[in-house]
Amino acid sequence: MKTSFLRIAPMLALVMGGLELGYPAGQAIGQEKLSGVRLAPKAFLDAANKIQASLVVIEAFGGSTAVQGKIAGIRGQGEGNTTGVVISSDGLILTSSFNFIQQPPVVTVVAANGKRYTAKIVAKDETRNITLLKAENATDLTPPEFLSPDQVQIGQWAVAVGVGYGDSTPALSSGIVSAIGRGSGRAIQTDANTSPANYGGPLVDIRGRVLGICVPFNPTNPGPAAGVEWYDSGIGFAIPVVADADWLNRLKKGETLQFGFLGLRLKPKAEKLEIDKVLENGPAGTAGIAVGDVITKINETVVTDESSLRLTLRKYLAGDSVKVSFMHDNAEKTVEVKLAANAQVPPDPPPMPMPMPMEDPAKKDGK
Amino acid sequence: MLRRLTEIRLVLPMRLVSRWIIAFLISLSVSAVTVAQDENEFSAAIEKGQGRTVKIVGASVGNVSGYATGILVSDSGDILTGSGVLLTGNRIRVMLADGSLHNATVVRQHRGMQLAQLKIDAKTPDYFDLEKDVVVPSRGEWVVVLANAFKVADGDEPLSVNLGVVSLQTKIEATRGRNEILYSGDLVLIDAITSNPGAAGGAVLNTEGNLIGMVGKIIESNETSTRLNYAVPSEILKRFKSGSLEEPSAAAAVVTTEGKAGETGIRMLRLSKSTDPAYIDRVIPNSPAAMAGLKADDLIVTLAGEKIANIRDFNQVANKLLAGAEVVVVVKRGTQILQVNLTPEEKK
Repeated sequence: MKTSFLRIAPMLALVMGGLELGYPAGQAIGQEKLSGVRLAPKAFLDAANKIQASLVVIEAFGGSTAVQGKIAGIRGQGEGNTTGVVISSDGLILTSSFNFIQQPPVVTVVAANGKRYTAKIVAKDETRNITLLKAENATDLTPPEFLSPDQVQIGQWAVAVGVGYGDSTPALSSGIVSAIGRGSGRAIQTDANTSPANYGGPLVDIRGRVLGICVPFNPTNPGPAAGVEWYDSGIGFAIPVVADADWLNRLKKGETLQFGFLGLRLKPKAEKLEIDKVLENGPAGTAGIAVGDVITKINETVVTDESSLRLTLRKYLAGDSVKVSFMHDNAEKTVEVKLAANAQVPPDPPPMPMPMPMEDPAKKDGK
Repeated sequence: MLRRLTEIRLVLPMRLVSRWIIAFLISLSVSAVTVAQDENEFSAAIEKGQGRTVKIVGASVGNVSGYATGILVSDSGDILTGSGVLLTGNRIRVMLADGSLHNATVVRQHRGMQLAQLKIDAKTPDYFDLEKDVVVPSRGEWVVVLANAFKVADGDEPLSVNLGVVSLQTKIEATRGRNEILYSGDLVLIDAITSNPGAAGGAVLNTEGNLIGMVGKIIESNETSTRLNYAVPSEILKRFKSGSLEEPSAAAAVVTTEGKAGETGIRMLRLSKSTDPAYIDRVIPNSPAAMAGLKADDLIVTLAGEKIANIRDFNQVANKLLAGAEVVVVVKRGTQILQVNLTPEEKK
């Protein structure tokens, strides 16, 4: 009797404790939570090992190593190799444009199969800080599985992988997906460490599928090194790759992608989007938009202030045609405008200095 | 409730039924206790770490901080931390987890790894045994970091705790300020942010609370030009504490080439800039390069295992080659990558 009581008592305590809480057994639930966290590192490592087959080490030769000053807070571009991700078995590779700021004339890549290939830069997307490379004479490279942004959940695990530290084993950093659709729909945001150690490399999910290509990125101030100052800071970005994406198709054809502009200047601090100046022979000008007109919509999206106009226009590229709706003499009109890359309106020249008035000697000691 | 228990004991004879009632009542109190504790995955490591880490205050110069963290490594007050300016002043003070302040002396330093060992006159029974309480980590594994970055922990407040994972354990070439630091071993790179003033000397632990390493001084990688988040591995700490960690300069000083300078027969264009890619301008006839099949306009990709990014790299590596010592040369010819073996001959 006594023995059986002693054996059963602890179990009973657990059961009673559990029943009281409404759980099968309070301590068992705690253990479930613990093991989920415990298993995460094994999953991070498995994901990094899986994606390794699709990574390339990018080697750059020559180029301007003497970069003036710092690139956005770091001492200057590092000496090391960088990372890229294979997107086709015949050698198309996506990587970060940061890796070519020094404009090296010669580039080679070493694939997971151990072979080294010469590579050519095919094209750059300046709006995503992405460069497309082609490894020459490549036939059996291994592209990974890519996820589109609608398959990604904010808060899910994300692992950034890269070879920038120089070891043949890639380094990894884990975090979560912080946001989707940054930069007018271009980038996923993560708090995994992103830096030159993994720029151009993949951000993968727990199953080794690519969420995006890590790049330095600043949604409000674009530029090839924009966002580098946020390296390893908890703010990182990756560009998702969708198979038939328009930008990817255009890159494959060799087209440089840039932001597109309308070629007009707005009246500052006005309540509506009133046009102050139109660039002669610019996109808006040739389409018939004039000074004094008020912009109302871009491609059916209502725009009310400079910020919404900028965010909407940034969705498009130079060369895209957009429908611009505007008020002209109290009537709404709509025209097609072909956005152009270099269509910024130059600032007005400063006014001529006025001659200083002559000093009146009689007033010298006065007020 | 206890009173009720006692009442039951006195009133009812010790029958089976009463035992079950007692068990039920005990279970209520036990379950209340298990819920209240609310531990997480990292609690054990944090508790161990807080007891075995210290705060250090010393001299500051300009905007170089005079504060750091440290780890206890013996029961008689031995502490490991990063070496530096803060140890140069008249007074180094250490605050233990219990809030007590002690004066410290410097026992030893290591220039190459930027390590320092201090000693305080106190009994410190809770410490990291560098034989038993250490671990070699795996990539991806959790790391729990305890450190006093930016001196956020004031007075006897507990140190700040950060979470990350092991990124990679690898050899690193790094720079500190204007000096190139030669680290004589691997570093454990992590993705918790430790590259902040005051964090050096912090404890980097696994989830069991075992020591992976110590947060090192702020350094920049030559490969990426970024500040590194890393731990000096516990294996290196062990050798340092026992006095058996060599200074890298001692080993590096032995650069005396046992042999004669090697000539490859490769010539670069005289007028090219040192940052130009290393294209071969001409190959001396009958030289080792000629016999290996190298040609003008080949681009040298690697020489003796080193990446040759430009002419400066080529000169650096070529000047260290020894006659008779075979090396591998990888070149790019058009769109082909070729590899040859080459044995330099004596320079004439």
